[in-house]
Amino acid sequence: MTGRKVLMDFEVTPTSHSLDDYRARGGYEALEKALRTMKPREVTQEIVDSGLQGRGGAAFPAGRKWQGIDPDDGQPHYLIANADEGEPGTFKDRWVLEYTPHTLLESMLLSCYALGVRHCFVYIRGEYDLPWRRLDAAVEEAYAAGYFGENILGSDFSCDLFVFRGAGAYVCGEASSLLGSIEGTRAFPRNRPPRMTVRGLYQAPTVVNNVETLATIAWIIRNGASAFREVGTEKSPGTRLISISGHIARPGVYEVELGYSWAKFLHEDCGGVLDGRPLKAVIPGGISSQVLTGKDAKVLTAGEVEGLTLDHEKLRSAGSSLGSGGMIVIAEGTCMVRLLQIMLRFYHHESCGQCTPCREGTGWMHRIIDRIVAGDGRAEDLERLNYIAGFNDGTTICGLGDAAGYAATAMLDNFRDEFDYFIENKRSKFAGNLE
Amino acid sequence: MTAIFINGQSVETGDHTTVLQVALANGFHIPHFCWHPELSVVGNCRVCVVEHEGRGVGIACNMPISDGMRVLTDSEPVRAQRKAMLQFILLNHPVDCGICDKAGECSLQDYHYEYNGETAISGDAKLHSTKFFPLSERIILDNERCILCSRCVRFTREISKSNVLGLENRGDSMLVRPAEGRSLDDDPYSDNVIDICPVGALLSRSFLYQARVWYLEPTPSVCPGCARGCTVQFWHRKAEWRLSGLDERHNTRVHRVTALENPRVNGPWICNKGRDLPELLDRPRATQALQKGAPVSLMQAIETARGLLDQAGKRVALVSSWGSNEELRAFRNSLGDYFTSFVKPDHLPLEGEVVEDDLLIRADKNPNTRAAQDLFGTAAAEIPDDTELVLVWGEGVDFGTLPRGVKILFLGSWLLPENGHADVFIPISIQTERRGHYTNFEGVVSPFEACQPHRDGVIDAETLFPLLSAPGGSASGGGAA
Ligand SMILES: Cc1cc2nc3c(=O)[nH]c(=O)nc-3n(C[C@H](O)[C@H](O)[C@H](O)COP(=O)(O)O)c2cc1C
Ligand code: SF4
Ligand code: SF4
Ligand code: SF4
Ligand code: FES
Repeated sequence: MTGRKVLMDFEVTPTSHSLDDYRARGGYEALEKALRTMKPREVTQEIVDSGLQGRGGAAFPAGRKWQGIDPDDGQPHYLIANADEGEPGTFKDRWVLEYTPHTLLESMLLSCYALGVRHCFVYIRGEYDLPWRRLDAAVEEAYAAGYFGENILGSDFSCDLFVFRGAGAYVCGEASSLLGSIEGTRAFPRNRPPRMTVRGLYQAPTVVNNVETLATIAWIIRNGASAFREVGTEKSPGTRLISISGHIARPGVYEVELGYSWAKFLHEDCGGVLDGRPLKAVIPGGISSQVLTGKDAKVLTAGEVEGLTLDHEKLRSAGSSLGSGGMIVIAEGTCMVRLLQIMLRFYHHESCGQCTPCREGTGWMHRIIDRIVAGDGRAEDLERLNYIAGFNDGTTICGLGDAAGYAATAMLDNFRDEFDYFIENKRSKFAGNLE
Repeated sequence: MTAIFINGQSVETGDHTTVLQVALANGFHIPHFCWHPELSVVGNCRVCVVEHEGRGVGIACNMPISDGMRVLTDSEPVRAQRKAMLQFILLNHPVDCGICDKAGECSLQDYHYEYNGETAISGDAKLHSTKFFPLSERIILDNERCILCSRCVRFTREISKSNVLGLENRGDSMLVRPAEGRSLDDDPYSDNVIDICPVGALLSRSFLYQARVWYLEPTPSVCPGCARGCTVQFWHRKAEWRLSGLDERHNTRVHRVTALENPRVNGPWICNKGRDLPELLDRPRATQALQKGAPVSLMQAIETARGLLDQAGKRVALVSSWGSNEELRAFRNSLGDYFTSFVKPDHLPLEGEVVEDDLLIRADKNPNTRAAQDLFGTAAAEIPDDTELVLVWGEGVDFGTLPRGVKILFLGSWLLPENGHADVFIPISIQTERRGHYTNFEGVVSPFEACQPHRDGVIDAETLFPLLSAPGGSASGGGAA
């Protein structure tokens, strides 16, 4: 087992996503408690005290983000649950939406109460069908039960929720770009400043949080911030939903207590690398987090003291991050040149095209890697890739440009020999197969 | 009072809110493609970077001022990033400067020489795109040259509000395109996008391949197209680049009109009518004085006109709303006592023309109605039947509406059938042949300069009026006063 649970603390059954089942396991009690006994600012304080970090990729402290909004400033505020889940390898928000959508709804009500939000949104990717139907049904149930609308549970608090189905690109998941998508303009990420908590949706202060971040709120309010801090590590409280895929025996979504041993997770809970092959590398949190090499992972398997645990600070010191929780396992024998080609094709395809370095650089890198894979690599190509990647990192409006840069530098740093081999021999060290 | 340090020098920030604004206002040079003072900040080109000491490199156009902050506009990391951004742009830019109308006034050329100076480092073939996309009857778009700064798109959204232009597709497939079912023909301010395009992606059909800009020079002038009186620049060939083997008109023609930035009148914009002034100015000119249709010398015509003036009993003048302030004053001083004067509109709105809007265009299609009315009143022309002489100055009068048998003294510039119907016709100069001032509808006075040679046989109205009133005076021909 992967440690204590916050979200997966019930048995999934054919009805466990329904309001009745949710209520039977204590659902909406936190909302009743908060509306009866807590002031909005106390809810925010609880989240600050809990140390909850964002689960959407950047692990930004949720409470600190919320403190950017003054619930009493008399202007409209908005809350948006980011359910775009576009990061390759990431499918964990989907689990929340399909199996316990009311957890998200109750949490959003609590958040809206804390932030003085009258209207909130769930921005769900257009490709999610079952998750959308489950969410939509849950919203209907919640309205019927009086959890949304005017004077919720007899209090002064009123709140409405809109489910917005995206039909967009990967970049729509970037929080500021998502605003444009809802507003009906082009989904272009926006420059900061201003922060979105100053000027966001329809020019009003706005909080955008990941589905999983928000879904954790109900538990925190029900059990208290100190109970939450007992789960996980000191600097990374709580749990993470990890969606694991790639060369792994039992892919799927797992809830892992932060600080849990990585080796145990991979080799015991997930059944080890597919076909018992040796581990080559792990992309820990979606392809936009930096790839970790087997070297680190092997240290982990040996279970030594310096072995990695799954928490934000350990991964940061290893030069990567838990990112979006989309873990991709790569077995020995995989061609990293081809893998980078796939990643760069993705970034090229998904760049929104605003920023000069990302618009031109992603295509440039993609064409270079295509040429290398086609057997036309040139000696100067790898330096060129490093140059392009270097100037994508930190020079753009949103993180997509950075991520495309990291992807190339991380692969080149760790697997340079494979690239050199490919250019020299015009073929992969691994017969060109990804399998 | 907030102050920041730019390259170690303390400067006051005034009303500005970003580092770029403060730097430009204080004479520091920071390259920028997407930023434009009249448009929203999008921060997409990423060349305006500066180093905020202790904080790293960031874009100046969206970097807020904080008291005492220290920025460097030309440090090593700044130069490195600018150079890289220019390399990214060069990746697929065609560099066809040799046949590009923007060459010589292109930001990409300038920044390239200043910050990059190397050829494209990519050895791969460039991506191709649409070369001549028709945006309208007036403008074509070269998508290969476009650097996707979105200035043109923002112009149609934020300034002209026609919302015609948008961006299609994503990433390096992104294209500037008209919105579905729309055309830039719907935008009476469309040609401004040609000016604000930092590169040669937006091309004027009328100026296409007409001249290299370094052979041209601008003369400040005022658009006579409406009562706004936008200040403009008339671009014509420099004297030292005079062409001798070709039609002389190449040397005197106004090749293009651009806005002359003027915060009191038009900001940096003008409407398309202003762009089309060369057509108005290139109409066939009248250079021959006439008496009842028969050619006479200018002196003879003036003599006859003076005779008419002395003999006639009741006299009415229809004063031109295209006369300059100077000409209008000369008329009042010399001839004011002879005539009952009315101001007439020389031009009325043409069919299909935008009559009036919220940005610049005014319903009065004449440049100097305000000054003329200040001198001669606002009353509509009333010509009693017993009038014996009508002086018509400028266009816009149908002689058929004048009392039967009245004598007509006509002062005009264009080759028109009416010229021959007047008792005396005297050809006068046009705006581009003389200097003067117009007063716009809000009372703002703007100067214009001569940029075309005086035609032979033509006289300035300002010179003519004293001659008409002075008994025994003599006309000295066509020279400017
Ligand atoms: C290109 C790009 C795509 C992103 N896609 C997602 C996404 O699909 N879902 C998500 O929750 N966050 C996504 N993010 C992160 C969001 O911008 C934002 O940081 C996050 O939703 C904030 O939530 P959190 O603070 O709760 O983590 C993306 C960021 C970038 C740069
Ligand atoms: S980094 Fe890329 S995806 Fe992000 S705003 Fe810039 S061009 Fe768009
Ligand atoms: S056409 Fe010119 S102004 Fe418009 S986006 Fe392209 S470069 Fe910018
Ligand atoms: S708005 Fe009036 S003055 Fe200005 S350019 Fe157009 S016609 Fe000329
Ligand atoms: S001018 Fe600042 S990013 Fe373009």
